[in-house]
Amino acid sequence: MDGFGVTAAFWGLSALAVGSALGIMLARSLLHAVLWLILAFAGLAGLFVTLSADFVAVAQVLVYAGAVGVLVVFAIMLTPNSQTGNSETRMVGPGLFVASVVSGIMVYIATQTDWSTAARGDFPATALEIGTALTNRYLLPFEVASVLLIAAMVGAIVLVRAARDEPERRELAGEGEGEVNTAEAAGREVVAAGSHGGH
Amino acid sequence: MSVSLEHYLVVSAVLFGIGLWIALAKRNAIIILMGIELMLNAVNLTLVAFNRFVTLADGRPALAGHVFVIFVITVAAAEAAVALALAVSVYRTRSTVDIEQIDLLKR
Amino acid sequence: MNPDYSLLIPEYILAVWAALVVAVDVMMPKLRRDVPAYLAALGALAAGIASVLYIDVNKGFEAIPGVTIMHVDDYTTYMRVLLCGIAVFILLMSAQFVRMRLSHAGEYSAIVLVATLGGMLMVEGTELITSWIALELLSFCFYTLVSFARRELRSNEAGLKYMLLGAFSTALFLYGLSLIYGVTGTTTYDGIAAALSNRGEDLTLALVVGFVFIIAGLGFKVAAVPFHMYTPDAYQGAPLPITAMLSTTSKAAAFALFFRLFTTAFLPAHEEWKWMIALIAAVTMMWGNLVALQQTNLRRLFAYSSIGQVGFMLIAVAAATQDAGSSLLFHMAGYAVTNLAAFTIIVVFFNREGSDEIADLAGLAERQPFLALAMVTALFSLAGMPLFAGFFTKFMLFVSGWDAGLEWLSGVAVVASLISLYYYLMVIRQMYVIAPRVPGRFRTPALLWGVIAVLVVGVFFLGIWPAPLLDAADTAAAFLFRA
Repeated sequence: MDGFGVTAAFWGLSALAVGSALGIMLARSLLHAVLWLILAFAGLAGLFVTLSADFVAVAQVLVYAGAVGVLVVFAIMLTPNSQTGNSETRMVGPGLFVASVVSGIMVYIATQTDWSTAARGDFPATALEIGTALTNRYLLPFEVASVLLIAAMVGAIVLVRAARDEPERRELAGEGEGEVNTAEAAGREVVAAGSHGGH
Repeated sequence: MSVSLEHYLVVSAVLFGIGLWIALAKRNAIIILMGIELMLNAVNLTLVAFNRFVTLADGRPALAGHVFVIFVITVAAAEAAVALALAVSVYRTRSTVDIEQIDLLKR
Repeated sequence: MNPDYSLLIPEYILAVWAALVVAVDVMMPKLRRDVPAYLAALGALAAGIASVLYIDVNKGFEAIPGVTIMHVDDYTTYMRVLLCGIAVFILLMSAQFVRMRLSHAGEYSAIVLVATLGGMLMVEGTELITSWIALELLSFCFYTLVSFARRELRSNEAGLKYMLLGAFSTALFLYGLSLIYGVTGTTTYDGIAAALSNRGEDLTLALVVGFVFIIAGLGFKVAAVPFHMYTPDAYQGAPLPITAMLSTTSKAAAFALFFRLFTTAFLPAHEEWKWMIALIAAVTMMWGNLVALQQTNLRRLFAYSSIGQVGFMLIAVAAATQDAGSSLLFHMAGYAVTNLAAFTIIVVFFNREGSDEIADLAGLAERQPFLALAMVTALFSLAGMPLFAGFFTKFMLFVSGWDAGLEWLSGVAVVASLISLYYYLMVIRQMYVIAPRVPGRFRTPALLWGVIAVLVVGVFFLGIWPAPLLDAADTAAAFLFRA
């Protein structure tokens, strides 16, 4: 039913996505792994286009390949001491076994099940339909998702930002951490005082 | 030959498996998160493929799959943000995001 | 026709109140740091009272005509009131704890309210996308709350592990949902049920694997063996009131979703998933209670004890009858009251001593007789002794399992229950027999004394006169089985 173009695109993009995914596993450097990840996301976006999911494909490129990719690069840059390599735990063998079993079962199901499918040759635009659905049928989950995003944002800020208010009983609050911070702060004051004196 | 639902499901199954392998076998919390994102992407591919090929009982074109994927993308992005904030926060105190070295609990 | 937005008033109250708490905290920096928690507790109380107004309302939230994405009925009302009640007690026990140990007091209380909101939406949802996004809302709040004690390494570490495993379980859960969507072509619970009751024989395998993924995903959220690995770490690392919340709100909401999904959407395929859940239930209750025997930390003990309780609750999901539903709701309430009592006691002790080791409880009966006595009540109730709430609620669960043809599972549950008695008695022995390590009596703060007293009275009330709550639970469960 599909033309040669779609078939060729499917095989090419699938190879890109699966190959890049393997690249994440095999890359020796963390940054290379992230680049492979972004490439895998891009391949998937292409696959979405062959499935006539134009809006989803755009969202995929913007959010995954763009935002999540950049975020992950940032995280790797912010944790430099861990950047030594993309090594595995001793779970690599068992992990491969479990993953192969799961994949195998899924492949078996995908090929053996008689899905009630219908051939669709055309490629309708979906953006309008999705927009309409999000504002009537799925309005409520949409609002819940916005609450979720705010909660996640507040959470992320609370986790990484310095405290505006401190616990009232410091001696019991942190186990040693509090003192480290105080010591650091004191050290910085000493340095500041020293440099001030130097000038 | 033409491309059918089964083809997409097989690709999705393979991607899910690779994501699972990465999540189970890697040391670095950030790479583990990447494996999980890959698994979520495989789910998205399944949903979109079903959405295109499966017919509803009353013959209307399905749309829930696309909307589902939009929500998954939203949540995955938020998940990445919170997980990376946590990783950075752990790194500040431990200077590592290696899940095998982060083992203060249980003692 | 517009959907009936007035069905969700308790949710609006919680959302607005959460914003209000943050705003008050930001505008008044001089505010004492326990005030936001009390303020938020008022909000949870208001939402709970608003929920009571929906008794005997039975109405679907139709996003567009014919598509019901949420349902407000007595099942919803029961769970809404329970979740709001839990939130009130969590916030009351948090106030002093937050003041002493945490920063960002306003955000803390607001996120507790939003987590409760997520739990309530999970209970109501009758459509996969809606229920799932509500589940994610609850999970995200917990990711943040578990790592809220940023100055304690353990809290960060627990948060990271909890978050990674949570995201992992989300991926499994979603893969299952996508298979169900592929088999049925719809995401509404009633649509799925209709599609499943006249499905082709050929789809069974895909369906079974879909159930496996969904049960694995939900198994992570409720902490069923073998998906429980994060539980002890999260329980030990989280701020103490959040540990209490993990063991109550999170479990109650997840089980409410679990039960509604499997009894309204998946019931036509009962034979396909009954054995899976029964098997997980048996493994969970044995494993949880056996590993609990070796614990020396109070929080890890409660983590494994709660895993054991999850095993008992899974009996009801496996049975999937109306009786099972009412005993599940009843057990949830009894378990919540008991666990909240136990955790309030641990919070008082921890605020005072800074320790959560079982060994440090030595001689508590001498140092603070009231706390020790209340703890004995809670532990006896968890162990399922007669006269206490836990006896009756567990008994109902086991009977409902027996009646549904799961006799062997009820037998395993009785054995597991007997094992649990041992480690609860070890804690009691520590408090009453061993001499105190640190001398000196101490007092329980008046407010927390009152909270503990109320909860202990609740434990006895449910144990001696369970009829009123049991009737309510029965009415609530009946709504799921009308069709």
